[in-house]
Amino acid sequence: MNNFLIPDILLLALPFVVIGSHFLFPKRHTVPFAVGCIGFLGVFVMLNLLVLGETQTFLSNWKIDSFGVFMREVLILAALLGIWFSKDYFEHDADGKEQLHQLPEFIAAISVATFGGVTVVSACDLLTLFLGLELATIPMYALAAWNKSDPGGSEAGTKYILMGSVATAFELFGFSYLYGFSGSMKLAEIATAVTQNGTSPLLWISVLFLICGIGFKLTLFPFHTWAPDVYEGAPTPVTAVLAVTSKAVAITFLVILVFGPFASIHTQLIPFLSILAAVTILAGNLGALKQSRLRRFMAYSSISQAGYILLAILGPEIVAKSAIVYYLVVYTFANYLAFFVFGIIGQHRTEGFDSLRGLSKENPTLAIALTIAAFSLAGIPPLAGFIGKFMLFESAAEAKTYGLIAFAVLNNVIALYYYIQLIKGAWVDPPDENLPRLEVNKRQKFAVVVLTIGVLFVGVVPFLSENIRNILAM
Amino acid sequence: MNDFASHSYWILLLPFLSFLINGLYLCRKDRKSAGILSIVLNGCAMVYAIVLAVQYFQSGMAPGKVLAWEYSFLPFTETLIASVGMLLDPLSVMMLVVVTVISFLVNIYSMGYMREDLSSGRFFSLLSFFSFSMLGLVIATNVFQMYFFWELVGVASYMLIGFWYHKPSAVSASKQAFILTRFADSFFLLGIVLVSYVVGSFDFSVLNALEPATAAFSGMIDLGFCDISRSGALVLGSILIFTGGWGKSAMFPMHIWLPNAMEGPTPVSSIIHSATMVVAGVYLVARLFPFFAACEGTLNLIMVVGCFTAIFAAVIACTQKDIKRILAYSTLSQLGYMMFALGACTVVGENTINTLGYTASTFHIFTHAFFKCMLFLVAGSLIHQVHSNDLDAMGGLGKKMPWTYWSSLIACLAISGVPPFSGFFSKDEILLSAFQNGHVIVFGVALFTSGLTAFYMFRLFFLAFHGEPRSAGVAHAHEDKAMTFPIVMLAIPSLGAGYFGKEIFARYFTPGMLQVPLATPMEHAAWVPFAAAGVAIVGIAIAWLFYARPYANVKHALDTENRSALYKVVYHKFYFDEGYYAIVREFLFGGIAASAKWFDDYIIGGLVKLVCVICQKAGSLVRYLQSGYLTFYIGTLIVGVLLWRYLGNLPV
Repeated sequence: MNNFLIPDILLLALPFVVIGSHFLFPKRHTVPFAVGCIGFLGVFVMLNLLVLGETQTFLSNWKIDSFGVFMREVLILAALLGIWFSKDYFEHDADGKEQLHQLPEFIAAISVATFGGVTVVSACDLLTLFLGLELATIPMYALAAWNKSDPGGSEAGTKYILMGSVATAFELFGFSYLYGFSGSMKLAEIATAVTQNGTSPLLWISVLFLICGIGFKLTLFPFHTWAPDVYEGAPTPVTAVLAVTSKAVAITFLVILVFGPFASIHTQLIPFLSILAAVTILAGNLGALKQSRLRRFMAYSSISQAGYILLAILGPEIVAKSAIVYYLVVYTFANYLAFFVFGIIGQHRTEGFDSLRGLSKENPTLAIALTIAAFSLAGIPPLAGFIGKFMLFESAAEAKTYGLIAFAVLNNVIALYYYIQLIKGAWVDPPDENLPRLEVNKRQKFAVVVLTIGVLFVGVVPFLSENIRNILAM
Repeated sequence: MNDFASHSYWILLLPFLSFLINGLYLCRKDRKSAGILSIVLNGCAMVYAIVLAVQYFQSGMAPGKVLAWEYSFLPFTETLIASVGMLLDPLSVMMLVVVTVISFLVNIYSMGYMREDLSSGRFFSLLSFFSFSMLGLVIATNVFQMYFFWELVGVASYMLIGFWYHKPSAVSASKQAFILTRFADSFFLLGIVLVSYVVGSFDFSVLNALEPATAAFSGMIDLGFCDISRSGALVLGSILIFTGGWGKSAMFPMHIWLPNAMEGPTPVSSIIHSATMVVAGVYLVARLFPFFAACEGTLNLIMVVGCFTAIFAAVIACTQKDIKRILAYSTLSQLGYMMFALGACTVVGENTINTLGYTASTFHIFTHAFFKCMLFLVAGSLIHQVHSNDLDAMGGLGKKMPWTYWSSLIACLAISGVPPFSGFFSKDEILLSAFQNGHVIVFGVALFTSGLTAFYMFRLFFLAFHGEPRSAGVAHAHEDKAMTFPIVMLAIPSLGAGYFGKEIFARYFTPGMLQVPLATPMEHAAWVPFAAAGVAIVGIAIAWLFYARPYANVKHALDTENRSALYKVVYHKFYFDEGYYAIVREFLFGGIAASAKWFDDYIIGGLVKLVCVICQKAGSLVRYLQSGYLTFYIGTLIVGVLLWRYLGNLPV
């Protein structure tokens, strides 16, 4: 079925089309944005039209299965929300920083990164996998330093690229050992080799380096140190993209490895992954406790979220994959909802907790949206975040890591504490008369309403998660 | 059963609709139309219930049990299913009629009584909710449904007793009623859990058919703190379930909430005392009568509790001055009658049952509902006219309010048990059943209480309606149409319900499916009715002598200060309220609650604070490590790899 390839080809062409449209209509600034939106939307619709169930392989190193399609949908959705969110930052300055420039290139960079994610989830050999990962990461370096007039952004970009290079070196080191161990680049052949000789030191050195390398991108402890600084320094839309797209790609990479070549040593990996998840959740939660800047706060929040997502990988393949897909959708919605609210607040104010004061009086809709986002991220029923976390825990429970789940649930109390700080700021703290008024344009209003409904709706519609699992189990 | 019965859910739905429409919409818009809507909908429910009752008794199905409809509500397991349904048998049909009729008349009365109250819309809404809850309880097919509506009745009464929430006394009375009945209800729930665990069903039809003495219930079960035989668990469960009725029907010593509940508007008192709430306890015992009869000893407990409450409350009623309180204690006493009549069904010395007490008790529920409802409505009318609850402020009202005067005379004669008024027939049967079954002491107490009843009722009657006016309010007292109409309406059943109901009750009202052998029918002791009537007339005569004979020293009669110590003890209701407060304040609040609070504040709270401090410190540490230096960050990458090499539990 060749129509499985059409969305990928379109996505690959999209950056060129966007930039091309800018050259064709240099005076009309809305054209590239419209092209980008239509492109992502079109790809998303096409993906939804595909009949899932079978694995398609193209050119021996490009396979598309149901999980791949789901991840594509998540990535496209995240990219669409990302450019939707970033549009405002190209129109006016915000959070005390100047406005951004070169929107077409920005959109192109995001779509290239998205295509990198698609490559990761389609890869059948080590080289494609590595290329995908790099394709998803390199645009991020540029995005982090997009605001040339902001020294903070340059610092963030520098930190990110330097540390990222070290992590890439880890990855390559791991890959080379894996190749040396198995004598093949093909994931399927590596899997066979791992089944035959699961205790080779060569294999385990490779596993250690691969997981540490991806741990950087997934912000696992102690490889998370870049995240708060980069999230803080980068422009706000880039932070949102980093928190969602970059993390989704990294977790996909891990899923491809753990349920691909390493499937036969999955049980031996569980202790390692458990301890990584536990420490990451704790570190993220503790870090978020005492933050006053919203983006830094979101950085730590996303670190602990990464730890929670990692829990799912402990379970058996189908359960783990469905939990991850579902949780990523929920996480994307809730995270972008929070970012939209922060974006609106940060337009004329600093992006800090103090700017939330009196939000419930000034703009109740925003306050409600923020509350829903925070509760969903914290995992309070009946919001989508609760079902998502439940599925993550369910997957971990299948691996019988009950102590770890108990630890994660207890940590959720800390998480609830700091998410409620947001709600307290919006509802309880006395209003501050000196704050500038909020301005909400139509696009932002639309996005906030749609995402709020999404977070509410995805939680109460039970068949969505069931459907994902049933299709993955086909 | 026909279509008419299968749509009988309308009897419930109509009051519920009234509750919804009034509560959500009309109560803020238009108080008057709220009242009218309430009257119309409750009237329709009443008509439906009466037609249903006529059909039921004429169809030849009586006294059989009919399931009008039933839906599965909460399937706990494959077999243990809590369903919602409508059970029609003589008992529930009788209660449907009583509840709807009383509720309809009380609604009409409230139009007059609550005329000046700005929040009367809320009142009508809650009143409909009250009758809806009671109707749901009455038609229950299983003990779970009964408990469900049982609690709704409790909630409704809480809201109605505390209706005037700006009065601190009303608030505390509503809290007292709610907490005390909830206290008893928790035992009820325990009983339901225990019995359904042993039996595996909530259905009345299953519970009533149990035979605990047989081999099926010989095993042991673990209660968590001790082992108990399955039959023993059933007996324990039956006592626990009865405890629910004990509290709801305000039997001694859980009676104190009922007189205090007088703080609510008088129509509420009227409906609580006649048709809803307190009768629920008696109804529960009657509904599960075969089950209680099969559990050895439970009926005796019921009898003792009922009998003691009857005389205890009657003694207190003789000294009170607040007319609503007199009526409240009189209700307690009459509920005691109903309870002990059910309990007195066991025949002394034999393991057999004589169902006369059951018939008598249900009959007394029926007759009592009308005259007690009316007495409260009369009390409300008087209070409305003279603006005081006290007998001190009344006197001579008979001339001002002739309709009310004659109606209340009928009610007083009925409750005293003077023939041919309705109370005579039911009370006579109660006494007879106690006597026939050989409970001589209970019979004696009941007979004496009957005399006391006549005395205190006519004390009330003479002091309120006869003699010289004792306050200025009496001078401009007059009849109020909306309030007098239901009073006069209720005079009719107070007069005739006994004579005409006797045959129906004797024929249909026997507990079905009894698993205990029936006693052989006994001879009617012909002198009992004469004794009962005689005692009543003596009581009335004494009351006349004290309070209404020419030159009676009324002033002394109402004096509560210069009295003997015994009188004062009785006047202060044996200091039960004070005792309760002492226990609650000193022991529960001061002792247990204070030490629990200390433990919570310092031990639990301390631990929580410690955890918080540790978290905050660790958070600061994480922040501190986030120094911003790139060299340090890259160092963490390398250290991380080394760290996980050794701590990552890698197999190699």
